[in-house]
Amino acid sequence: MDDRFRAEAEALAKALDQLDYFAVLQVPQTAGLAEVKAAYHRESRRFHPDRYAAVPDERLRAAVGRIYRRINEAYTVLRDDAKRKKYLADVLGPDRARKLRFTEADEVEVKEGQKRKMEEQLGQTVQGRKFFSAALSDVEAGRWESAERNLKMALMYEPANARFKEQLELVERSRPKADPFKIR
Amino acid sequence: MSEDIAVGIDLGTSYSAVAAMLEGRPQVLANEWGEKTHASVVSFLEDGSVLVGNNAKKNIITNAENTVYSAKRLIGRFFFSDEVKKAQSVMPYRIVEGANHSVRLQVGQRLFAVPEISALVLKEMKAIAETALGREVRRAVVTCPAYFNDNQRQATKDAGRIAGLEVLRIINEPTAAALAYGFGRDVRQRVCVYDLGGGTFDVSILEIGKDVFEVLSTAGDTYLGGDDFDDRIMSWLAEDFLKAHGLDLRQNKFCLQMLKEASEQAKIDVGREGQARIHVPSICQSPEGKVLDLEQSLGADRFNQMVMDLVQRTFKVCDEALQSAKMTAGDVDAVILVGGPTRLPIIRQSVRHYFGKEALTDIDPDEVVSLGAAIQANALVHAGAGSAGPSSYLLDVTPLTLRVGTVGGFTEPVIAKNTPIPIEMSKTFTTSRDGQDRVRIRVYQGESKRAEECELLGEFEFTGFRIAYRGEVQIQVTFEIDSNGIVNVVATDLETGQKASTTINLSSGLSEKDIQAAMAKNAATQLAGRA
Repeated sequence: MDDRFRAEAEALAKALDQLDYFAVLQVPQTAGLAEVKAAYHRESRRFHPDRYAAVPDERLRAAVGRIYRRINEAYTVLRDDAKRKKYLADVLGPDRARKLRFTEADEVEVKEGQKRKMEEQLGQTVQGRKFFSAALSDVEAGRWESAERNLKMALMYEPANARFKEQLELVERSRPKADPFKIR
Repeated sequence: MSEDIAVGIDLGTSYSAVAAMLEGRPQVLANEWGEKTHASVVSFLEDGSVLVGNNAKKNIITNAENTVYSAKRLIGRFFFSDEVKKAQSVMPYRIVEGANHSVRLQVGQRLFAVPEISALVLKEMKAIAETALGREVRRAVVTCPAYFNDNQRQATKDAGRIAGLEVLRIINEPTAAALAYGFGRDVRQRVCVYDLGGGTFDVSILEIGKDVFEVLSTAGDTYLGGDDFDDRIMSWLAEDFLKAHGLDLRQNKFCLQMLKEASEQAKIDVGREGQARIHVPSICQSPEGKVLDLEQSLGADRFNQMVMDLVQRTFKVCDEALQSAKMTAGDVDAVILVGGPTRLPIIRQSVRHYFGKEALTDIDPDEVVSLGAAIQANALVHAGAGSAGPSSYLLDVTPLTLRVGTVGGFTEPVIAKNTPIPIEMSKTFTTSRDGQDRVRIRVYQGESKRAEECELLGEFEFTGFRIAYRGEVQIQVTFEIDSNGIVNVVATDLETGQKASTTINLSSGLSEKDIQAAMAKNAATQLAGRA
């Protein structure tokens, strides 16, 4: 066990609360998933507690344990696209000092954001979303009659949904008009 | 080097094994008779000694009431759980309720906690290792199913302590298997470990990058195992016998044991030879006093039909694990099979079909877990050098979401499943009444919002913070999951920074006093057949 590592680990453990997750994993803020993973493996090789399990110095083991828990925390956030986006906005914002750790409140916010986005895109009710997404794939496949049926069903659950109505109009317009009097 | 030895122990539901690192290579240690796997059966003999292993298994029939098997199914469970109720109806030994809803096993006039039984199995493993190595063994890595919750892990760790072992680490069985596979091989692969044991089923997806073993996801079913395959054969045999003779073999615990043994053998035979002949002479007597034999034959097709739904259930779990890892079956580079039941052709075929590739064949499904545990044990005792470091790093995850109870019987998540461990997460609680002097928090593990569908880990009570109006005191509770997958909870008064004291009101575990008493009892117990 060399003293340089000991000094480095203890300094890092002390400074941990001033670092953001990018600094903890030592990756640039632009790092992609592969880069984050590689950094996680690299830092794990350096600070994995197993590596120091038999070291008698309890202080060093505590410092390494603290660092490694934070490495895991950083990895959990940075490997997840939605969480990472929010986290990056937070640490670049004015509240940086308070936002260095991703809290449970942040997590709730990310989840709600995803839910809102889904509701905006696909509807507010479970059934409405189900019929609407079925209609969308019908449109893609050119099954106009089925699309119309599904959209009408979706509108039964959410009569005021503007996106549903708009889509229905589009379907009615694009649907090839069959001439009932045409003799084949 | 003299005292730096630690062994790896695979503490299984049906069979256990012990391994150690010898000359840089992990090896399973055999007992005096050359056996490498040992039945996890504990039989209490009349002279006060205890017989453990394959010889004890024979006593399940002849000394049924004093012989305990499959104790792992009960470890770390509350008395009111379904698994305990099920065990009560099929096990020949008596299962009774202890303090705090715990489970106790009654053997004669004596009561045992479940970890005490597992400790006797561990004591035997320790003795086997000591005989094989010719030296004392005091430290070990013990494995448990990846899907074990905190209660079950804690109880497994307690079992190790009771057996006089320093448990260096509890590691997950699939992770251990992957470690044994990738050790010293310099592979860069994504592997799937399909671990079908006697009583549990686990799937782990790992990414092996040279010396780093990162678990991407884990999923499992703690109520699915090889025993369920036996049960299917058993029901079939019993129904058939009932139709032929009007007697239900399952009503008598003695007949039931014979039936169980015959079913297990039939499963093995049908797997090996495609056909099983079942013959149990004089299994019971008819009311008229006629001695009846059990006579049947079981073909592979028939057997496959019986267990198809069980096999399909395992792939539902695989789906879940792959989805959590954001992968599809085709992305898996190698499949490692673990556990005796994976020898069955039906499992091998289904695995090939599901993953689109053959499972690795050069791995012994009964030994691989203990080998991995031995590698990890060796790494932990030789980590002192630090500069060189161990040659492998396990990056494991927590299998279940950690939750706290809220009002109305609901829970909310604190640490999501498949989060890498060790990890910590803080949550702030506040008082809800003026002058409140204690805060109670119930901690759960599971995937449901409803508390009753999750496993209760314990109720923590915090006291010793400031007393003030409601909402004024903020208590920060930090939940930590350590490298063993065991949960620790600490509370701090945010304003004063004072640590609040914690008491656990409800827990399935043993108190320190219980453990000390059990250690003394275990040390005094003589293992039969060992000097």
